Amino acid sequence: MTTPLLELRNIETFYGPIMAIRGVSLQVFEGEIVCVLGANGAGKTTLLKTATGALNSSKGQVLLQGKEIQNRDPDWVARQGIAHVPEGREVFPLLTVEENLMMGAYSRRDKEAVRADFDAVYSYFPPLRDLRGRLAAYLSGGQQQMLAIGRGYMSKPRLLLLDEPSLGLSPTLVQDIFHIITRLNKEEGLTILLVEQNANVALQVSQRGYVMEVGGMVMDGASDDLLKSDDIKEFYLGKKEQGIRGKRRWKKRKTWR
Amino acid sequence: MTAVTIDGCETLPQVFLRKCAERGASVAMREKEFGIWQSISWQQYREFACDVGNGLLSMGLQRGDVVSIQSEDCKEWLFADVGILLAGGVVNGVYATYQARQVEHTLADSRTRFLFVEDEEQLDKYLEIQDQLPAIEAVFVFDWQGLRGFEHALVKPIEDLYALGREYAKQHPHDIEECVSKGRSEDLAVLIYTSGTTGMPKGSMLSHRYILFQMQLAPDYFPLTEKDEILTYLPLCHVAERVFSGWLPIAHGTTINFAESPETIFQNLQELSPTFVFAVPRVWEKFYSRITTAMSEATWVGRKAYELALKVGMRRAEKLLAGSTPSAADDVLYEIADRLVFRNIKKLLGLDRVHGLISGAAPISESLLKWFLALGLTLDEAYGQTETGIVTMTRKGMLRFGTVGPAFANVDIKISAEGEILIRSLGQFNGYLNLPEKTAKTVVDGWVHTGDVGVLDEEGNLSITDRLKDIIITAGGKNITPSLIENELKFSPYISDAVVIGDKRKYLTCLVMIDRDNVEHYAQTNAIPFTDYKSLCGRSEIVALIGNSIEQVNKGFSSVESIKKFRLINILLTAEDEELTPTMKLKRNFVSKKYSKLIESMYSP
Repeated sequence: MTTPLLELRNIETFYGPIMAIRGVSLQVFEGEIVCVLGANGAGKTTLLKTATGALNSSKGQVLLQGKEIQNRDPDWVARQGIAHVPEGREVFPLLTVEENLMMGAYSRRDKEAVRADFDAVYSYFPPLRDLRGRLAAYLSGGQQQMLAIGRGYMSKPRLLLLDEPSLGLSPTLVQDIFHIITRLNKEEGLTILLVEQNANVALQVSQRGYVMEVGGMVMDGASDDLLKSDDIKEFYLGKKEQGIRGKRRWKKRKTWR
Repeated sequence: MTAVTIDGCETLPQVFLRKCAERGASVAMREKEFGIWQSISWQQYREFACDVGNGLLSMGLQRGDVVSIQSEDCKEWLFADVGILLAGGVVNGVYATYQARQVEHTLADSRTRFLFVEDEEQLDKYLEIQDQLPAIEAVFVFDWQGLRGFEHALVKPIEDLYALGREYAKQHPHDIEECVSKGRSEDLAVLIYTSGTTGMPKGSMLSHRYILFQMQLAPDYFPLTEKDEILTYLPLCHVAERVFSGWLPIAHGTTINFAESPETIFQNLQELSPTFVFAVPRVWEKFYSRITTAMSEATWVGRKAYELALKVGMRRAEKLLAGSTPSAADDVLYEIADRLVFRNIKKLLGLDRVHGLISGAAPISESLLKWFLALGLTLDEAYGQTETGIVTMTRKGMLRFGTVGPAFANVDIKISAEGEILIRSLGQFNGYLNLPEKTAKTVVDGWVHTGDVGVLDEEGNLSITDRLKDIIITAGGKNITPSLIENELKFSPYISDAVVIGDKRKYLTCLVMIDRDNVEHYAQTNAIPFTDYKSLCGRSEIVALIGNSIEQVNKGFSSVESIKKFRLINILLTAEDEELTPTMKLKRNFVSKKYSKLIESMYSP
């Protein structure tokens, strides 16, 4: 079996006395899109932050191509080729679009290639080209999300971590963004670990998925299988069998099988 | 048969009205609402029960009509239970975990006229099968949440029934008393459907004589008074919980506390620290494994202290078991161990005030009893079944592990030529509903054939070997009692339940259901990656861990009795699944059929 590009083994992460992640393991192989689903507070963001070193884990390992990288400084992890696109479109508001993208390429020395990548970003996200001189603060939500992903791309990563790219975007924009994510994966061979609440779209674009609940993994499998699972249908896709009364407020107990 | 009476009363409602009048405002039960324990007094208990009773009378309930309750444990369950009996009806409890198909069978078989359901979820089960149940005239819902605007000719919130009852009582103030005074010892009072492992459940018919016989077992046998507190957490449809949370408290004034849910039993125990605990072995095992796990996380000092204390406790326990008195030094050491270590453990478990501990409903491992004894807690074992009621219990201070004690007064026990335990008791059941042939096969010349195999020692102590039909005869002709091996397996903190297989086979094998919490914890501490339950069961390290536990158990048995191969059940089972009984035991027959492929894989070369 090939070594996974990124592997988490039995990660436990605390916020003070509170255990936010209780023993989570996960694998991402080269060239895949893998999604992690879960409700608010399930620990998805903590998982990404632990992977990039923004948070330290108290137990377990993070392996990048079989090499342990847990608890290293985030900038060091970034230089190893893991780009983290944080939740909520955290762009630098007082920098222009171009300056934001430059920040993504901060650690790179290959000036020629960087220039080429600018063009690549603009071709994936055409609206950004016209807005390159504008302050990021004045972009719309969708444009900011594009910029954040573009900035992640500019570091020429081996692995892109996306934290809820669909957050607060209109349904058509969500479609657009995910279309681009799929293209980045297909055309550039970029490996992507995607954290999402929008289960439907996340399972459509990904090959495999994990489901998190209260800090632990409860299910994993091929995305096609997850889409067929009764629990996923009811709890993440909101599809309920119609009861005899037409509507049903109670939820059946989750079994995760 | 002769009537059983308590203070001249011969039925449960008679006892209830009399005792409630005596107890007035003292606390009968507590239930948590929005995180705060709320009390219900005996006076209120009586009022609600009378409202239910009067309400049913006003709807035309006739003596002997069956009324079913389909709900998890809650105060309304008991209001309805007693209310139905006050009005002369017969109570049938339906497990809330049943699927619609199983519900249909018990409601149709019992000819239920009125139905109580807990909430929207339980109501939906009825609505799914309402066309098949034309005999049901009204359905009352305890919790109307989520049903606003819902209209159905037969379905009403329980408050409507209370109001009907109060209205009826104004016009007929003495109806309930009259109804109650007409009750006789032999009247049918309760139906209990037992989770038959083969075929559909059968309804056992219990009379007031049966109920009062169980009631009068305290305080002589069960140390229960009005000062005691107990936690209610097993389904009230199960005869054991009905005895301890329904009937005994009515006779003796014990306060009951409803656990919030099956998942919170241990928190609730810790909060309440009850003085009397009845539990199934599964729960006792969990106490032990919680401490074992906590200790593996403890500091070095904490761990050493526990090990030392346990050594002291075990030495004393062994002396007690051997029948000798521990020396003064043993007692002093134990006292120190108790103060420094055991007391904290008992507090952590919510067992620091307890003076009566009873295990029943399934066999328990001796190693576990010894561990509790080392802590200074003596577990008593009781034995019984729906058909007989509770009929034996070990006596305090006797300390004879492996037996379930001698029979209670008015209970006769004998062993048949085949080794089957036969019981004749003043408190036995009146047969199975609608099943005269089954009844005739079970009760022969007044003796109940229990289906259990056992032996009586010269002092009259009964020991249970196994279920008659579960005895394994291997291909080599050896008789093996699987429960003996299974109990030792379950003592491992990593094994929740196991089914030993080997009938007409060359060697023994078993299916194992792992203890999820402890195995996950083990995987975590040993850096064994897993995602979900299935992947956990698939890890070779976990299979090896269980293999080790099984090897340990094998050492205690002869080679024909040792487990040669095993498989893990890699689906997380819940009470809703048919593999488990409502008390979370694996059903042997069902499991052997369902997992026949897995079993065959252990016998194919």
